[in-house]
Amino acid sequence: MSPHAGPGRLCASPWRRAATLAVAGVLAAGVLAACGGGGGNNSSGGSTSIVVSHGYTDVEAKALQDAANTWNQQNPDKKVTLQFNGGNDSALQKTLAGFTAGNFPDVAYEYGSSAAQLARQPKLVDLTDKVKDPSVDWNDFFLSGREAAMVDGKVVGVPALIDNLSLVYNKKMFADAGVAPPTPDWTWADFRAAAKKLTDPSTRTYGWAYVNDGSEDTVWRYLAMLWQAGGELLNADNTAPAFDSAAGKAALQQLYDMGVVDKSVYLDNGNGNYLNLFNSGKIAMLWTGPWDLSSINSDISYGVTYLPGYNGNHQTISGPDLYMLFDHSTAQSNAAFDFVTWLTSAKEHIKFAIATGDLPLRTSETKLPEYQTFLKKFPAEKVFVANLNNVKHVRPNIPQYAEVSSAIGTMVQSVLLGKSSPDDALSQASSQVTSALAGS
Amino acid sequence: MVTPSVVLIGVFGLLPVAWAVWLSFQHNDLLTPGQWAGFDNYRQLVHDPVFRDSVRRTVVYTVLFVPITLVLSLLAAAALNRRVRGISIYRLAVFVPVVTSTVATGVIFTWLLDPDYGIVNSLLAKAGLPTFGFFSSPDSALYSIVIMTVWGWVGFGALIYLAALQGIPQDLIEAAQMDGCSRRGAFWRIEVPLLRPVSAFLLVWLTINALQLFDEVYVTTKGGPLHATTVVVYYLYQQAFQYFHAGYAAAIAVVLFVVIAVITLVQLRLTRDASEAGGAP
Repeated sequence: MSPHAGPGRLCASPWRRAATLAVAGVLAAGVLAACGGGGGNNSSGGSTSIVVSHGYTDVEAKALQDAANTWNQQNPDKKVTLQFNGGNDSALQKTLAGFTAGNFPDVAYEYGSSAAQLARQPKLVDLTDKVKDPSVDWNDFFLSGREAAMVDGKVVGVPALIDNLSLVYNKKMFADAGVAPPTPDWTWADFRAAAKKLTDPSTRTYGWAYVNDGSEDTVWRYLAMLWQAGGELLNADNTAPAFDSAAGKAALQQLYDMGVVDKSVYLDNGNGNYLNLFNSGKIAMLWTGPWDLSSINSDISYGVTYLPGYNGNHQTISGPDLYMLFDHSTAQSNAAFDFVTWLTSAKEHIKFAIATGDLPLRTSETKLPEYQTFLKKFPAEKVFVANLNNVKHVRPNIPQYAEVSSAIGTMVQSVLLGKSSPDDALSQASSQVTSALAGS
Repeated sequence: MVTPSVVLIGVFGLLPVAWAVWLSFQHNDLLTPGQWAGFDNYRQLVHDPVFRDSVRRTVVYTVLFVPITLVLSLLAAAALNRRVRGISIYRLAVFVPVVTSTVATGVIFTWLLDPDYGIVNSLLAKAGLPTFGFFSSPDSALYSIVIMTVWGWVGFGALIYLAALQGIPQDLIEAAQMDGCSRRGAFWRIEVPLLRPVSAFLLVWLTINALQLFDEVYVTTKGGPLHATTVVVYYLYQQAFQYFHAGYAAAIAVVLFVVIAVITLVQLRLTRDASEAGGAP
């Protein structure tokens, strides 16, 4: 392009451009009308075909494809096609774009935090009655998964993944620093003291890492501490904030004492460096889930235990994901439900767990003989499975959760950066949450 | 035979714009049918302190990014506009950032500028200079984005300037030198004024891009820490795709569209008047 062409083009006559635009608009409307009216009714002659969208890659994608192949062999009349959505982080955005375009999947893998928003979508299949079928054995799913699937008393999805936060630590760093390794009954004070001893500013070594980008990653670790201290995020009917309490203060104070007073916390700005630094022996402890274990280098000897507790309360938090169903036709949503319940049945899911290291979804999975194979392959998962019993709270499933989360994220971030005191941050976040809840 | 391209522009360019304007007069969460809102979204916008802050940050960013990029592009182009051995390697080096993906740039810069382990802080510390929090500190995050985006855009500006410099007839420079003008004097007094139309193009182009800053924020700071890099388009994204206030986000988009249109017209008018008055070629 000649450098002189630029300004010339930008200066083209406005009238000519306006005329072109008008013509384009009329033509485009015609094209859209001609293309519209496509649909997703894919059932003909007793055979149905459904689309399942997901964001899995690598091992998980292969395991899911294997499962779908098995299903298609056994059920030639209910054909499942998997569709990669580009990554689970943007699954919600992708699904929404699909609704706008009139081209949405029959089943979508979604984060539990998206459940309340998608529950408002008119095409969502309400599973409340369907899961009462004894063959589904709904109560066999771990509680955190079932609760994540509940919005306003309605079942809006089937648990696809269940996890929790546990304490993962580098054994060698504890030995080198002469600090006794963590135990399941550690207190917040034990945790703080150990982190301080493991910190060495001269070598830039830290006791703990906190994801401090203000996202849900920042929020859920705080929520575990809030619940341990006996606090609640919102009141019982989710209409007002409840975290501006002694418990909320205690949890923030612990973060302040460690992050600002002791400076024993590496503040990850959201790019996930904490895991590389854990692998390089620069960070001794993480609060993380099973998904990080496969990224820890094989030369790092690590241990896993429960989160440190407050007055003996070692609660943790789970961030379950869901399969959500959307309605194209009764035949298709029935086929979708059959596929999803089969996929998440104990017998089928344990295969997926052995392939991927995902935790079991159901209590009965841990009683199958294959479960021993799972533990043998992933010994560290034992603690994560046991720690599922420490999941006693769920995040509120309300459409305004994203805004609530944003306010809490900013609160924690400002305290850890030393920009506000715990008291100021609490009251500011509390008023933001109040207006977010009011403005729905 | 312009119909196919007109249709494409219409479907992928104009309809979304028209739809966004329509959306901006609705309360719409993209999930349920929207409700007519009249000017509610615009009224709310005027009283939204977060939006005001995001505008302020966008202005600060633009005022820093555009002139710095313009000047560095010009200097880089001047340095590259000579015949020395291996010049194409230097030119390539300057241009590489332009074709590097934003995600890769973001990852590289977050490591370079990591407060604890980054090479920049460790060099600063070795030289006895103060170190910075860069992306991790609310006080420096926006400036870190300026550094990163200037690095990414100088190659583009330099390329455009270089092409223009090579189009300047050498006899003009030679004539000036015969009249006793130094090489440096010829550059500032003859070549730079002749580059005015190119500078005008770059000014408009860089300003539009600066006002629409998004990708670099998304891949590095996600608007943080403590909203320090929540610029207008990032705020729009948050409203639309995190909080699902699509109507409100569309109102932000419309306001931004109008502002960019006005600024572009003013810039074009100013630079055109100046070049006519200055007697450009």
